[in-house]
Amino acid sequence: MSNLRYVGHAELRSVDGRARVTGEAQYVCDMTLPGMLYAKVLRSPLPHARILTLDLAPALALPGVVAAITHADFVEHGNFGWPVKDDYVLAYQKVRYQGEAIAVVAAETEAAAEAGVEAIRLELAALPVVGDMQAALDENAPRIPPASVKTDGNLGETIILRYGDPEPLLAAAPVVMETSYDLRHQEHAYLETEGALALPEPDGGVTLFANNQSPFINRDIVASVLGLPPQQVRSIQPHIGGTFGGKDDVLYESSAQVAKLALLTGRPVRLIFTRAESMLASYKRQALRVHLRLGSDERGNLQAAQVKMLADSGAYASMTPMAAWRATMHAAGAYRYQAVHVDTQVIYTNNGYSGAFRGFGNTQAAAAVEMAIDELAERLHRDPLEFRLQNCLRQGDRTMTGNLVKHEVGLPACLEWVRDKSGWQQKRARYAAQPADAPRRRGIGVACYFHGCGLGGEGTDFAVSTLKIERDYSITLTSGLTDFGQGSRTVFTLLAAEELGVELARVQMLRPDTRTAIDSGPTVASRASIVGGNAVRVTATKLGQRLRLAAADLCACAPAQIIRAGEQYIGPREEPHSFEEVVDHARALGLQLAAEGRWEIPAVEWDLETGTGKPYFAYVFGAQVAEVEFNSRTGRTKVTGLWAAHDGGTILYPQGAYGQLYGGIAQGVGYALMEGYLFKDGVPQRTDLRSYRVPRAIDLPEIEGTFIETRLNEGPYGAKNLAEPVMVGTAPAIANALFQATGERVRRLPIPPQPRP
Amino acid sequence: MLHEITFTVNGDPYTLAVYSQQTLLKVLREKLGLTGTKIGCENGECGACTVLWDGEPVNSCLVLAVEANGHAIETVEGMSVGGELHPLQKAFIEHNAVQCGFCTPGMLMSAKSLLARNPQPTELEVREALVGNLCRCTGYVRIVDAVLDVAKNQ
Repeated sequence: MSNLRYVGHAELRSVDGRARVTGEAQYVCDMTLPGMLYAKVLRSPLPHARILTLDLAPALALPGVVAAITHADFVEHGNFGWPVKDDYVLAYQKVRYQGEAIAVVAAETEAAAEAGVEAIRLELAALPVVGDMQAALDENAPRIPPASVKTDGNLGETIILRYGDPEPLLAAAPVVMETSYDLRHQEHAYLETEGALALPEPDGGVTLFANNQSPFINRDIVASVLGLPPQQVRSIQPHIGGTFGGKDDVLYESSAQVAKLALLTGRPVRLIFTRAESMLASYKRQALRVHLRLGSDERGNLQAAQVKMLADSGAYASMTPMAAWRATMHAAGAYRYQAVHVDTQVIYTNNGYSGAFRGFGNTQAAAAVEMAIDELAERLHRDPLEFRLQNCLRQGDRTMTGNLVKHEVGLPACLEWVRDKSGWQQKRARYAAQPADAPRRRGIGVACYFHGCGLGGEGTDFAVSTLKIERDYSITLTSGLTDFGQGSRTVFTLLAAEELGVELARVQMLRPDTRTAIDSGPTVASRASIVGGNAVRVTATKLGQRLRLAAADLCACAPAQIIRAGEQYIGPREEPHSFEEVVDHARALGLQLAAEGRWEIPAVEWDLETGTGKPYFAYVFGAQVAEVEFNSRTGRTKVTGLWAAHDGGTILYPQGAYGQLYGGIAQGVGYALMEGYLFKDGVPQRTDLRSYRVPRAIDLPEIEGTFIETRLNEGPYGAKNLAEPVMVGTAPAIANALFQATGERVRRLPIPPQPRP
Repeated sequence: MLHEITFTVNGDPYTLAVYSQQTLLKVLREKLGLTGTKIGCENGECGACTVLWDGEPVNSCLVLAVEANGHAIETVEGMSVGGELHPLQKAFIEHNAVQCGFCTPGMLMSAKSLLARNPQPTELEVREALVGNLCRCTGYVRIVDAVLDVAKNQ
């Protein structure tokens, strides 16, 4: 590794840093165009209702209002959605959650657009609201999804996992822990709200600037609901102010809306969500209810697990079926079992709608099982950290899906690191000896996790990259995977420079644009570094071989005889040739100085019918310890210390990786103690940042983190991934610490204040 | 109703006609094109629109433009001089205190004001000074490090 110039170097800095500290970075809300119209959305005031009247005429009669649209302006009423096509760009016939978009007005000013929205004549007939998953399954419950979607009432899907037969093992196990956990919705709360700007093109097409995660998917959906060929929709991604999984479906709706308005009016149209709109109308982390049975022998060896889960999809499926699938694949945690069964039901309700959010189901599943493991250790009178070390996955073990883990497993090392760095043993003993009536009580807790790499059985997992040497000897790089703050542009740039042996400054990565980059599927699942990174590497290797050929020709030697010193190419006669000379010679030879490369994750297979297969080709691992102080007067819990170790393989861009680690942990602290996006009969209770509190600088302790660098042969330079899983361990570690502090187990996240009489 | 106001932004004098209900945030972004100051909530909850008002941090979404008459406003665009970044801007890049970058301009403003009134803050004082600025990406670790680093070296 020592001869690498960039990979793993602590000195690497973000390629976007300068634009972002000077205020020059343009986000979609910063973009205005001559003649631009402003769009505003009419949203449903009710969580479930039939649309009786929707009349735009009063809005269109107002001064300044230029156009207004409804579902009727789209192909098939704007029906879209993957894997379930149950959503509409604008509500059709019914509204299924409070805040659902019904109509959009474009006007000369924001004020005129708002007046237009208020003038629209809307008549709704309220339908009974389904605000609870159990109630949704009642045979008399009103059906929520459209008739066109095949479901069993409000039961969207059932996902199963079958590894062995846990029943006889649980029946025979001397210790069986049976508990239920209630994990509530979480709001992404990215600092930048949703936004889209559409520009009509002379060819009848449209160019979009939108803060979506996956511009190619956006392009395809917008094209399909507009009835255009995909080539006529161009989606360009500006700087994006955070997503965390949250800027996909909601942005496809907004993008389609402004695109249609731009085509109708022949003018640019921009829509930017207010904060209240963002919190009301965007999808959330789905609530999960998890029932676990874990069996152990007397010596504390885990035997079997049986898990039943209910996942609250809300009004539309969005990514909940996929997140529920991932939750199912992780529901019994990073441990060795002889048998595991999981049954997960995905349920429609009128609780907003839910989709992708960092951790994608595993955040909830791991929170439940890590609390349960802690409860089991307690029952067995075992130290919870040593109990995990005894049972956790090691290289050569089988996962809870029955698959052999052949690659290196850094999990034991992660557990040992957080144990040693946190002063676990001493603190655990000291806090256990606190007087029961102390007004402030401390506790320390642990959690560990695994997380499947890439999309796994969720879909084809590939990426494409291009590289081109320009006339000025700079190198232009594209990827179909995108950067919304996580740092993948820096990772891709450094990988291209590393592989080509050039200065970083030579490589200019273009912003994602469906016209210049090549479709690489969605930017999700923390897969950019592995899949996108490998695609960059493959592309750079191709281009590098051509340059080496040219250098060999210049030096009159075999390509293998060429060595590199910095950017120079040196042949056996030790005469150095500059990068520019070699490029010029390659051009003279007629070699193509542009390359395209694709990489796909090794195939995995999952049989949905039998609940068996191989869900992922590899896993990352990690462990976290949290220390808390519980104030019995206020009932509040403060996190006073956090230690985190993550096995993400080789770390390519250390500063970026630590940024992800700390940021993920902060979201985990919010998930554990503060955030809870709560519904009451389908009505969201917190739609501003005053009532929905995300962690502030004073809410977080110092965080001590590290990366345990194992090597994954398939990853670029041995890298795995980290962006999502780093938040997975935080909430259960905090819950487990609080249990030590109070002796009372709260089986719900976020944990509400627990004042004592 | 339109009002004429005279104020300075990043040292440049301006005389503008503004409506009574227009916020300073809207005037900076829409009339002066200074879009470095971000809109996060327009409700004083996130700090993305923080600017300096005679050196003190304010949420520009909560003050009316007419109130700025006679005052000196500073935005992120005024931090670097002749292309040379301010030490805080350099430190934010150096420490990777910037991820998505949306909170960054507001953070820089609050940090600059803190160091002007308290050149040697403790870690807790830095965290308290940034309490009005939400960041959803970084967990604040590197932001606090960057501010402390500038304090140490100034």
